[in-house]
Amino acid sequence: MTTLAQGKRTSRRPGGPSVGRPGFAWAVPATVFFGLFAIVPLVFVAILSFTSWNGLGTPQFNGVDNWVALAKDPVMIQSLGITVVLVVLGIVTQTPLSILLGVWAAGHQKNRAVLSAICFVPLLLSSAAISVLWRALIDPNFGIPGELPWLFGNGNLLGSQAGAIGVLTFVGGWQFIPFHTLIYQGAARAIPPVLYQAAQIDGAGTVRSFFNVTIPQLRNSMITSLVLMLVGGLTAFDTVLILTAGGPGTASTNTAYYMYQKAFLGFDFGTASAIALVLAVVATTISLVVVRATGYDKMRSTQEGL
Amino acid sequence: MNKRSARLTRALAATAILAVGVALSGCSSSGAGAASDRPAGVIHVAIYGDTANKVEQQIADTFNKTSKIKVVLDKIPGANYQQKLQTIISTKSAPDVFFNWGGGSIAQFVNAGLLLPLDGFIAQDPKLKSSFLPSVFNSASMGGHDYGIPMRGTQPVMLFSNKQVLAKYNITPPTTWDELLADVTTLKAAGITPIALGGADQWPTLMWYEYVYDRVAGPQLFDKALAGDKSQWTSDASMTALKDIKQLIDAGAFGTNFDSVKFTDGGSPKLLRTGKAAFELMGSWNYSTQQAADPAFAAKDLGYSAFPSIAGGAGNQTDLAGNTNNFYSVIKATRYPNTVRDFLKLMYSDEFVKAQLAIGNLPTTTNTVNFLSTAASPDYATFQYNLVKDANSFQLSWDQAYPQTASTAMHTAVEGYFAGRLDAAGFAAAMQALPIK
Amino acid sequence: MKARPNYAAGVGAVIWLAIIAIPLYVMLQATFETQAGYGKTGALGIPNTFTFENYVNAFSVGFGHYFVNTVIVTVSVVAIVVVLVPPLSYAVVRNQNRATSLVFRLFLLGLAIPAQAVIVPIFYLISLAGLYDNLIGVILPTAAFALPICTLILSGSMRDITPELYEAMAVDGASPARAFFRLAIPLSKGGLSTIIVFSALQAWNGFLFPLILTQSDSNRVITLGLFNFQTQYGVNIPGLLAAVVMSMVPVLLVYLFARRSLVQGLMGVGGK
Repeated sequence: MTTLAQGKRTSRRPGGPSVGRPGFAWAVPATVFFGLFAIVPLVFVAILSFTSWNGLGTPQFNGVDNWVALAKDPVMIQSLGITVVLVVLGIVTQTPLSILLGVWAAGHQKNRAVLSAICFVPLLLSSAAISVLWRALIDPNFGIPGELPWLFGNGNLLGSQAGAIGVLTFVGGWQFIPFHTLIYQGAARAIPPVLYQAAQIDGAGTVRSFFNVTIPQLRNSMITSLVLMLVGGLTAFDTVLILTAGGPGTASTNTAYYMYQKAFLGFDFGTASAIALVLAVVATTISLVVVRATGYDKMRSTQEGL
Repeated sequence: MNKRSARLTRALAATAILAVGVALSGCSSSGAGAASDRPAGVIHVAIYGDTANKVEQQIADTFNKTSKIKVVLDKIPGANYQQKLQTIISTKSAPDVFFNWGGGSIAQFVNAGLLLPLDGFIAQDPKLKSSFLPSVFNSASMGGHDYGIPMRGTQPVMLFSNKQVLAKYNITPPTTWDELLADVTTLKAAGITPIALGGADQWPTLMWYEYVYDRVAGPQLFDKALAGDKSQWTSDASMTALKDIKQLIDAGAFGTNFDSVKFTDGGSPKLLRTGKAAFELMGSWNYSTQQAADPAFAAKDLGYSAFPSIAGGAGNQTDLAGNTNNFYSVIKATRYPNTVRDFLKLMYSDEFVKAQLAIGNLPTTTNTVNFLSTAASPDYATFQYNLVKDANSFQLSWDQAYPQTASTAMHTAVEGYFAGRLDAAGFAAAMQALPIK
Repeated sequence: MKARPNYAAGVGAVIWLAIIAIPLYVMLQATFETQAGYGKTGALGIPNTFTFENYVNAFSVGFGHYFVNTVIVTVSVVAIVVVLVPPLSYAVVRNQNRATSLVFRLFLLGLAIPAQAVIVPIFYLISLAGLYDNLIGVILPTAAFALPICTLILSGSMRDITPELYEAMAVDGASPARAFFRLAIPLSKGGLSTIIVFSALQAWNGFLFPLILTQSDSNRVITLGLFNFQTQYGVNIPGLLAAVVMSMVPVLLVYLFARRSLVQGLMGVGGK
């Protein structure tokens, strides 16, 4: 109803910017549904963060105890640093590779379709499959390190912080680069050929047209991909759980995994809720900053600039 | 526009507050509610979902043939068993009976008043207690009450070996710590990893502490520490035990890359099986693991022996460590306690014992001894049974004796001392910091 | 696109293909080995046995009604997403007032909620609604958690429809609803198929919600069936991987079928 009323009202101003715009009612069903199953539980988590609760009986309010304890918890503080390192490493390794692969896959070479189909299979694998597969592959005696001692030495990849973080970054790339490649492939295909022709006339080679034409045209895709990597990287713990269990010691315990540990190994739901809240707020803030700083939320097409 | 959005914001906020209020009151309805709220005509049994639950299914089917109230098995994916159980156990979706490991795995449920003490059942049928070996049965007793009936089998930790490797270097399974050290030196010189260790799983590392502490200080040290006497961890005996462990690590007993090896994905059993390692300290399930991977090796070349003694130590050489058993515990709110009691009686039946032995588990009932010859591997079953029967004490794995909340920090400390990140004082301090309730 | 093939990129792509394909090959190869055979050779060895036993086993434990349940969950989740997301994206793109941009931020926040963090409250909500151990109870939260990324993708797609087209329709007297069905939907088909594929993947591979929110065997989905290949202290690797491969095949077929549209849809995410 609201929609129709608004539609009529706005159409009385012909030529105005909001001609035939849909009312807010269009957004309501999805928002209510989402609010009920995601935002309400999140509010509940926010309340739990001020309680002490092991999942049994009634949560006991304990004020800001969980927050104070977390602020002093060395593992929590260390985990923030590890999270930053993992997210940054993820972005700097995955972004260039995804761009290169996406641009390449957008071309018209023979066999490209088959190759890119295979490349995207990791997208389809569940975490159970990835865990079993990679655990077998990184075994120091019988996996890949055992076959290539000149590269991996004694294969004790999970024995040092650098090794553990390296493994996490590599497997993370294996798992997620296909997805980001897909984003760039789509965007690269949509670049008007006329831009390349113009660059060629100006005497630009492959490398120069890549940097002068392709990269600027992929700007919006980079932002999308960046937001997904940031948010995904901040909140991901599956690979940590599966591959290093946060070790050696706590050297690869990122904040999301620390939350999982608190919640489902220690059943300290109060502290886990506080960590979850920190993560959700930080991730949302960062993605909002990215979206705002780049003007992405203005919802304007790159095409308009042409 | 703004008015509308303000209205919407208010409506959303109201919905959220309402829902949270309802959800919170849902949580606070502590306990699993009245018996009459529970499903009629069935008892739910939550069971660890894995390949072994075909026996549990068989027993449930047997029971259902004669019972009007039926047993329904809810198989929960193993790796996530505890997570699921903890979520549902205080709600009306709780199972009537559930699988557990005794000790710390049920302590918080006992504290929360969720579990039914089985004293009444035992008074009605004394065999529910007398049919089981006491060293096993007692791991599920707390504060003078019994909370669990043993099911599946016992899983003591033993020193496994590759007989071919031992024969090649003229080694017999060590009976003393000094022999073990000497064997390590011999094997290391020959370029073989003396002892396979799945350090990335962390719990295999813990087994070394459990045995060395027992042999050096006797079972009392750990029992006292768990009861609240934290000074035990800094005692002389504790320091001696840590020094012995260090000596073994420094002798190169575990090789250099054990941090990256796992038992659970087959890494460390394979080291032993292929002769790249000579020994492995592991739970009795190692036999079935090896058998699945290479039946001929398990039958011919897999050796097993008790943990060696340590000279001057207070522990008895027959002391065991490991998983004493799995248990069934009962929720207080169960609607059909008598049916539950009758179902539990099957855990000492001949049918149960035979079926468990056939799949390689070793039940700890008094009638087990009658059927040892029908076991999947009779020699192995007999050796294990005698080990448990003759044990002076049977220490429940530390990570299961302590409350769940302690397990992460304990594993980190155990792994940290092995890796050299913690010194003895650091390890003791970490153990002292563990919650005991 | 480019005038000449880029050989360097081609070589790089082939190296990447190897990195992707070797683990996949290891997985496939293991599924055709007996457990004993796998125990002898291990991950990278040359197979010395060949058997279909693992597939037969996987079929016998996981592919009766588990399969049917998984299909029900997946189809329902996709249906909810397809009904809810397009009007939302339409509003987000075309109605740029404060309320809708607030909604857009709400969904950005939703992107950052780890399901593990909210699973316990969700369990209580679903129990209160009387939907515990009911497939509907799995479908609703699974669909809700698929919404943020689907909204992001479809909004991107719809954003690329030029405003002039809407204005032309409005001048002809078309209502927003008409513009939605005649213009927005037909011109964002690519984005629509992308969100179908993504929500289907999430539902198909979903583990946490079915784990916590169902109980009885009759409501089990395939992902929960995989535990039949593990013991307390280890995994039957060939058996598990065979089950994984089998559960992947239907998704793979859908994916290959929808791939073209998927790429087109994601073009929208990137602004064009």
